[in-house]
Amino acid sequence: MTKVITICGSLRKGSFNRMLEKALPALAPAGMTISPAPSFADFPLYNADLQNEKGFPAPVNALADAIRAADGVIFVSPEYNFSLPGGLKNALDWVSRLKDQPFVGKPVAMQSASPGPVGGARMQYDLRKMMVFLDALTLNKPEIFANNCASRFDEKTGALTDETTRGLVKQQLEAFAKFIEMHGKK
Amino acid sequence: MSRLNILTICGSLRKASYNAALIRQLPSLAPASFAFTAAPPYDGFPHYNSDLQNEKGFPAEVTAWADAIRAADGIIIVSPEYNWTIPGTLKNALDWVSRMKDQPFKGKPVALQSASIALLGGSRMQYHMRQCLVSIDALVMGRPEVIVTFAPTKFDDKTMELKDQPTLDVIKQQLAAFEPFVRKISGK
Repeated sequence: MTKVITICGSLRKGSFNRMLEKALPALAPAGMTISPAPSFADFPLYNADLQNEKGFPAPVNALADAIRAADGVIFVSPEYNFSLPGGLKNALDWVSRLKDQPFVGKPVAMQSASPGPVGGARMQYDLRKMMVFLDALTLNKPEIFANNCASRFDEKTGALTDETTRGLVKQQLEAFAKFIEMHGKK
Repeated sequence: MSRLNILTICGSLRKASYNAALIRQLPSLAPASFAFTAAPPYDGFPHYNSDLQNEKGFPAEVTAWADAIRAADGIIIVSPEYNWTIPGTLKNALDWVSRMKDQPFKGKPVALQSASIALLGGSRMQYHMRQCLVSIDALVMGRPEVIVTFAPTKFDDKTMELKDQPTLDVIKQQLAAFEPFVRKISGK
């Protein structure tokens, strides 16, 4: 069984990216489980003094452990000001400082939804660059940019209803399963 | 361990290029299984124009370049940064081969290096190149990165030989990491 966790970059309840994240388990290929990672909502702002004085906060360790235990990680995140949400970047900044850095050699895929025309692409290319620093292995294609996203979800239930997006997500998850296979589970 | 065919692509055309000098240094720093070949020249490629492609097909030089990429087990791109990004000539070469049906970069292991006379060492070229390589679906190695800053201080003035020990070390580390990366992907 291939175990994949998702990290959502948005914290708000009505988040389109959260809706996208919730749609993934049903679209996963056979043999892949997908579940949300522990939240980074309670991480303090990164400060090396804090780390030196008190060590890593429990929620940081919980996220890091979940990443280590997973065969792959999928980021589903909005774009804020042409880049990653600060909360998500702060979470990466924390886990990057751990001795057994959890992203090293870890297969990663990414998705984004946005109400605008570019669908969060600028966030993704910034995130890819960070994944180079963290030495993760990032899947190339297919890329998922759910642009003009409001029309793709059911207004009331939040379900991903757009067939094109569902098909593309399915393709990405299948490609990710092969990618994880190729790069070898630890 | 079977031999690995490693193709180098230089982003600079000038004779005294630091990036070309970097490529000349690679064989002495590489794992024993690496056999290096320089990619055929791409400086004769016409400017990409799909009308041209539709009328006359792919120029012979483009096909030769693509064939060399297909035949390689791994590719190392060593390029300067021009105006904060990839030299236009190299981008034009990528634009040509990206249009081929049997797209040569697809699934190909790639490592990147750059040298520059200034303090950022061509890193902005590398991050743009990584983005282009997502589009053509190459598999780019993460770390270590080879970013040679202040190149004139690191190469011998006369012989253009790389003299800087930390730079030599990091290249060695990158090539050592590239070997298992290439083997895993190529199955060789």
